[in-house]
Amino acid sequence: MIKTWELDPSFKYEIMKEPGGEHITSCYQCSTCTIGCPITELVPDYNPRKIIQMSLLGMRNEVLTSPDLWICLICQTCTARCPQDVRISDLLGAIRRIAEKEAEAGKLKIDSSRPLFDKAFQHQLEKHGRLYDMGLAMEYYPKKEGSFISGMKAMMKDYKDFGMRMFKKGKMGPKAMLPVKVKDRTVIKKIFEEMGEK
Amino acid sequence: MSVSKMAYYPGCPSEGTAMDQDMSTKAVFEKLGVELVEMDDWNCCGAAEVEDPRLVYALNARNLAIAEKEGLDIVTPCSICYYNLERSNQALKADEDLRTKVKGIDNSLGYNGKIRAKHVLDVFMNDVGQDELKSKMSKKLNIKVAPYYGCYLGRPRETAFDDPDDPVLMDRLIELAGGEVVPFSQTKTLCCGGPLMMTRSDIAFAMSRKILDAARSAGADCIALACPLCGMMLDGKQADIEKALNVTLGMPVVYITQLLGLALGIDAKKLGLNKNAVDTKELLGKVV
Amino acid sequence: MGIAVIGGGVAGITAALDLADSGYKVHLIEKNAELGGKMAELAECQMGLSPYIARVNNHPNIELMLSSELESLSGSAGNFKLKVSDKGVDVESVVLAPGYDVYDEIAKSYGFGSPDVVPSLDFEGMLKGASGELVRPSDGKPVKRIGFIKCVGSRCVENKICSTACCAYTAKEIWELKERYPDIDVYVFYMDVRVFGRDEELVADLKDKYGVHYIRSRTPEVIPEKGVLAVKYENLEKGLLDTLELDMVVLAVGLLPAKTLGTLAEVTGVKTDEYGYIETSITNPLETNVPGVFACGAATAPMKVRESVGMANGAALKAAILSERTEPIPGQEDRKYIETGEEPKIGVFICGCEGEVGQTVDIAAVAERVKVLKSVELVNSDTNTMQDTIAAVERGIVDGGVNRIVFAGCSPREYEDIVRDACASAGLNPYLLEFVNIREQCAWAHDKATDVAYGMLRMAVERAKYLEDIQVERYPVIPKALVIGGGVSGMTAALGIADAGYEVYLVEKSAELGGGLGKFPELPNGEQASEPLKELVDKVTSNERITVYTNAKEEDVRGRAGSFKAHITGDGVDEEIGFGACVIATGAREYVPEGYLDYGKDNKVTTLSEFRKAGEYNAGTIAFVQDMVQTEGVINSKSTSVELISSALKVKEQNQDSNVFVLYQDIKTYGKWEAIYKDAREKGVIFLRYDSKKVPEFSSGILSVFDVILNDDVQIKPDQVVLSTPMMPAEENERLSSMFKLPLRNGFFMEAQERPKMVLTPVDTVNEGVFICGSAVYPAMIDECIAMSTAAASRACVLLAKNFLETPAVTAVVDEQICSGCGVCVDMCPVEALELSEEPVPVVTFGVATVTSGTKKVAKVGDGCIGCGCCASYCPSGAMSLKNFKDKQVYAQLDYV
Repeated sequence: MIKTWELDPSFKYEIMKEPGGEHITSCYQCSTCTIGCPITELVPDYNPRKIIQMSLLGMRNEVLTSPDLWICLICQTCTARCPQDVRISDLLGAIRRIAEKEAEAGKLKIDSSRPLFDKAFQHQLEKHGRLYDMGLAMEYYPKKEGSFISGMKAMMKDYKDFGMRMFKKGKMGPKAMLPVKVKDRTVIKKIFEEMGEK
Repeated sequence: MSVSKMAYYPGCPSEGTAMDQDMSTKAVFEKLGVELVEMDDWNCCGAAEVEDPRLVYALNARNLAIAEKEGLDIVTPCSICYYNLERSNQALKADEDLRTKVKGIDNSLGYNGKIRAKHVLDVFMNDVGQDELKSKMSKKLNIKVAPYYGCYLGRPRETAFDDPDDPVLMDRLIELAGGEVVPFSQTKTLCCGGPLMMTRSDIAFAMSRKILDAARSAGADCIALACPLCGMMLDGKQADIEKALNVTLGMPVVYITQLLGLALGIDAKKLGLNKNAVDTKELLGKVV
Repeated sequence: MGIAVIGGGVAGITAALDLADSGYKVHLIEKNAELGGKMAELAECQMGLSPYIARVNNHPNIELMLSSELESLSGSAGNFKLKVSDKGVDVESVVLAPGYDVYDEIAKSYGFGSPDVVPSLDFEGMLKGASGELVRPSDGKPVKRIGFIKCVGSRCVENKICSTACCAYTAKEIWELKERYPDIDVYVFYMDVRVFGRDEELVADLKDKYGVHYIRSRTPEVIPEKGVLAVKYENLEKGLLDTLELDMVVLAVGLLPAKTLGTLAEVTGVKTDEYGYIETSITNPLETNVPGVFACGAATAPMKVRESVGMANGAALKAAILSERTEPIPGQEDRKYIETGEEPKIGVFICGCEGEVGQTVDIAAVAERVKVLKSVELVNSDTNTMQDTIAAVERGIVDGGVNRIVFAGCSPREYEDIVRDACASAGLNPYLLEFVNIREQCAWAHDKATDVAYGMLRMAVERAKYLEDIQVERYPVIPKALVIGGGVSGMTAALGIADAGYEVYLVEKSAELGGGLGKFPELPNGEQASEPLKELVDKVTSNERITVYTNAKEEDVRGRAGSFKAHITGDGVDEEIGFGACVIATGAREYVPEGYLDYGKDNKVTTLSEFRKAGEYNAGTIAFVQDMVQTEGVINSKSTSVELISSALKVKEQNQDSNVFVLYQDIKTYGKWEAIYKDAREKGVIFLRYDSKKVPEFSSGILSVFDVILNDDVQIKPDQVVLSTPMMPAEENERLSSMFKLPLRNGFFMEAQERPKMVLTPVDTVNEGVFICGSAVYPAMIDECIAMSTAAASRACVLLAKNFLETPAVTAVVDEQICSGCGVCVDMCPVEALELSEEPVPVVTFGVATVTSGTKKVAKVGDGCIGCGCCASYCPSGAMSLKNFKDKQVYAQLDYV
């Protein structure tokens, strides 16, 4: 039972203000996105169409705390097929960013480690201008696991075999242990300051 | 051939997990007589992890401006880099306010919308052209190939350069090199699961496995692909997938640039074919 | 000069024929080498359209310009100079009917490329061509499960608007499929079922009686795998994805403006809209921005054949009004028939039907055998087309001296009238013709058909021997029309007829002209309704050819097409009028949904028209409820969704913070109206879909609806609830129905042609000379009402243009000598054309009538006889017979069965 008067009807406008979320109200609930979604194949309850309708109705809290937000692959299949150009990949990104902001402000808890990973990635980028795998892992795993030690353990578990494999092929030599940095890093920093999430 | 010189955007994994792709890309373009000028001090495109379009546009405005200064179109071997570069290009071209705003951050972000970004596959098939490619090929690939396109080449529609549901450019390229394309049309555009590798490896592994399984049951000798993230999932992580899901796959995975390089008669080592995680020796024996 | 009609599809043909039949010179310009357009691609349509094509081909007033294109147009209305494939053509007005093209960039994800995935057009052909089982194109295995996917290439990014026709033609195809193959399981994947009127009933039947599964899911994927087509869809009830394995999938592909339209617009200076269609307006649906250039059919918006044809009729009238009549009307010339004498001299003409007959019939062998039959003077078997065979008939009559014709070929349904007319113009009484269908009933039905063909011809020859001249009476046409109903439709029809030069009696039952439109403050496009209405009323009242009767009523209608009489009473009038044609435009009225969702009890609940009239769009939370469950005689108007959504949109536009909900079953914003549906969503209107099994409830201030898409109950606390109002037929329809002998369905008038067949005469009725239009047929949007009422005016004018008509030739005759006056025939007659009358009885003495003694009752055949033959078959004494079907004629034929 959904009681509309208990919901937040302005949620859809909040989403529309976030870049990528502009087209949410074009949706006519046709199911094209969900039917083609490779995640729905594996996780039957995952339903982007439903996330949209819930957002339109204003079910802000349910949507923002849903773990489903974080398993989108941004593979663009839904975006490519959507007959109303809702740009669902971008739209879910916009909703995710609202959720992240709310989480950072302590207003809700996100049941996924993906925002931690994305943030760690962005930090590397902000710092070096390019992706630095090692730095990313060193930031992400401890945050995900809650402590440096357990983070390192988890990292070893994930990367022991893979790292050795890459090392043997010469793809993960000592060189990869150090970041490759963009020379003009102040610009990158400025970009993040001006355009990044605050 | 309508192209002789391009700005090269290698992408972050080019010095690490995808150095084989980087090597083969450079070797192939050299052989084709197209000069690649590596962009000076390029930065990361934002990959899949930077989701805020504003940030993506600004990051890539810098890259685009670097190439624009040289007066060259950008070519990249990475699907995600291509998507981010070209969507930024289109957004900046269409929106003067955005251009002004971005330039306001720093003058080096001043981009005038004079160039475009392209994916290597697009350049091979549409700029170099099939006739030119054919004329430079000296070897025949007696290989059965599963062409795997993944995301971003055929979708979304604004940046796509191939059919969203049944892309064909890689198929044509493989056929041109004498290779056999195995039936793969229901799998070729699936996502490899890469973006979830670090946070939901269970889903990511299941997705990659689907692709590897499909190639196996189609009787492919290898999978050909055009993106370093797909490469990491299907090749780099294949052994992890086998272990986690308790399956045997043993499917060689090569970059399309590596396959094209072989057809062009380039030495396998120069193409980095000794660096692929799943052994490619058997394939090399089929190049005649 | 004349009129140029551009486009030889169904719309162009319709317009050309209306004009040519009224005595205008027509240049029909078609880019292809053949007439018929898209419709001709469909087997069944071809059957419906081919008599029209044949008439165009044989029409003296039509100059057919095939494989021709309009290259330039200069001048202005009344004096256009056209260049058509290097030829100069001067005309007074132009009708554009270039038609449509089918969306052709079907996404590969639909499995398009697999032979078992076919577009609807191809499927229609497949279905027609299937003899025996319906089999899969890929492997010839019988089809057991078939899916139809709607909205392929429509209501999407590439083609934003709704193609309007697909829902109905899909339903029609499924109906045909299920009629022939009841065991095939049918699944339809759809978003909204956008059908109206009888099509709505058809879809209900498909669901309930034929067991067709309608699945609400826009499936984007058809995967051909292992010999089946896997179709994934969302099962909304389970909230999960399901897969159906089907043998075949039919794609209902959307429509686009004709590819040639761009060039045509450039050449003519006609504006196109944002979707590439010819721009017309809601109050001038037939007019382009270039005066004297009119548009019709699918070139103005995607639409069904019915509406295309109606617009074509209407555009023809608009064009005619600007032109001068220069040509004689065929059949109106004086005709004298040759004296045939007693001795039958039969000419037999066998048409090869472009090889169709020759495939299974040895025509030469049949001709040899027929030649030796008694009374056969001449056998012609070398002609292969209708035109050549008709020419042979004419030569046979004029030069060969034959006086009876046996014509063998295709269906008389299509061609009998044309051949009869050819006989008449060659000087032979047209009823001395016997038509034999050796195509459908012989060549197509049998593998070795030579003997059957001979047998059929033999029977025809025997019958032909006894054919008699039938004298055809001519009577003058009264060049006036009666229009019933003074709403937009009635006024438009009246003006059309008056502008064409005929007098009109316009009868309105209320005190004022205006009808339903007077109740609406504005049109769905935001235009004020009062302005076009006032303009129309002014034009009607100031037109000297129109006599308006208000508070008036027509009674005691008598007569037949061309010569009706009626009695009019009303404001200061009580008179007898005569008229040649009648247009019924009685409109519709709103249903009062008393009690529904507390309407009438709770003042929060209003109807849509009350809401619009009040004009207050500032509610905080407002719920619009569409698709009230229908009861007898109540139907949702074609404009319901459009009006409701435009109101919802207006609320949102005036108060962005308002919460606007629309509760619906199907959003029917057909055609370009799809744009307002999108606009409403984008502005933040929330759409909740319910199912007829669980309708919305309103109690204690809470409106509850089970949203079938969310699969959950949704509750709203509305400040206002607005109900769309279904429509009821006008009260006088019952009375008019019995007076004009017109059938009703749900209280609305029915066209002559019954759906689900193709409707090629949307404003004609079973009663010749009586036409219907507007909401009297089906409550529709104002543009459609205007187009259809102009169509009715056009059809009426075609009739009024004639100086005289002929009484039906094949009527009943009474042998008064034998008639016993029992009256059985009088009771049997469906059209009340018979009566008993007292006649003097001659007493016979020695074979000579000498004395008259008393009277007896005998049956008399009146004017209304339609020649149905009921009386003849029931007459116990054999006194009744039907001309052309006399006993001896029929028995002669039966002797050789």
